[in-house]
Amino acid sequence: MDKTQWLLMLHIAAAFCLVAGSTAAAILNALAIRSDKPSEAAFLMKLIRVALPLIFAGVLGTLLFGIWLWHDLGFGFGTGWIWAALVFWALASALGGRGGRHQEQVRAVAEREAAAGDSMSGELRAMLRDPKALAVNYAAGVATIAVLVIMIWKPGS
Amino acid sequence: MIVADYSRPFWPLFLHVLGAMTTVGAILTVVVLTYVAWNRPDAAFLRRATFAALLTAIPFYVLLRVFAEVMYSDEKDAFAGSDPTWVGIGYITSDAGFLILLITIGLAYWWKRSEKPVAGRIVAVLSTLLLLMLTVAMLAMSGKWGS
Repeated sequence: MDKTQWLLMLHIAAAFCLVAGSTAAAILNALAIRSDKPSEAAFLMKLIRVALPLIFAGVLGTLLFGIWLWHDLGFGFGTGWIWAALVFWALASALGGRGGRHQEQVRAVAEREAAAGDSMSGELRAMLRDPKALAVNYAAGVATIAVLVIMIWKPGS
Repeated sequence: MIVADYSRPFWPLFLHVLGAMTTVGAILTVVVLTYVAWNRPDAAFLRRATFAALLTAIPFYVLLRVFAEVMYSDEKDAFAGSDPTWVGIGYITSDAGFLILLITIGLAYWWKRSEKPVAGRIVAVLSTLLLLMLTVAMLAMSGKWGS
């Protein structure tokens, strides 16, 4: 394997970390939403933390190895599809961070209710199914998939 | 040359890669849930969550496997009857992996119904094996080992 193949492998591995970690977080979040008890929702939302190092490694790795490949493969500074991918990458990161902060707030409420009788309140149920938070999470997922689409399609190249 | 190696029709490659990435995410979830449940065999919600996470892996795995086959049937002539190492690793992983996935789902169902900790531990080991196989296949295919 030459240098470019190594860079491509590491770039793709980082993309796997990002999408696989995000998928794991989304599945755990969906399972938490369907929980019967606050203790169960809190426990499942706490497990999302296990996926975070993978997501962070993916976010940093895709950027680092992507920029390295940009230089290595000789694409010009004005290559539109690379800039488009970077915009969606930044959007996905920002939306993912916002969704994560909401999940932390929900987890804190769930832990409080778990300690106080472990019965699901209307407030917690509403927070778990908050349409705005769900929209942010879906938008983060769509932005991540958009990066994948652009990287594979390479429009204009 | 290398860019050409990685250039393929959009839809089959996109759906194959998306299926692979989401399958790894679903199996990773199962691995996390089963190892947490290892020390909490009384937690029924972890058994239910494991089974549900495994079921989500099925459509992802089908996406991975079907579009791998679509790409292979389009490109096999280029290999002139001698598939490179990365194609072989991909085939072994996807075929054996699907069998492991189905067995794991069966065991997870048994675990959910019987509440026997040993069933959960077998699910943990098998899902870890599947995750390792998928990781090796991902590295082999993205690095184009043997080509």
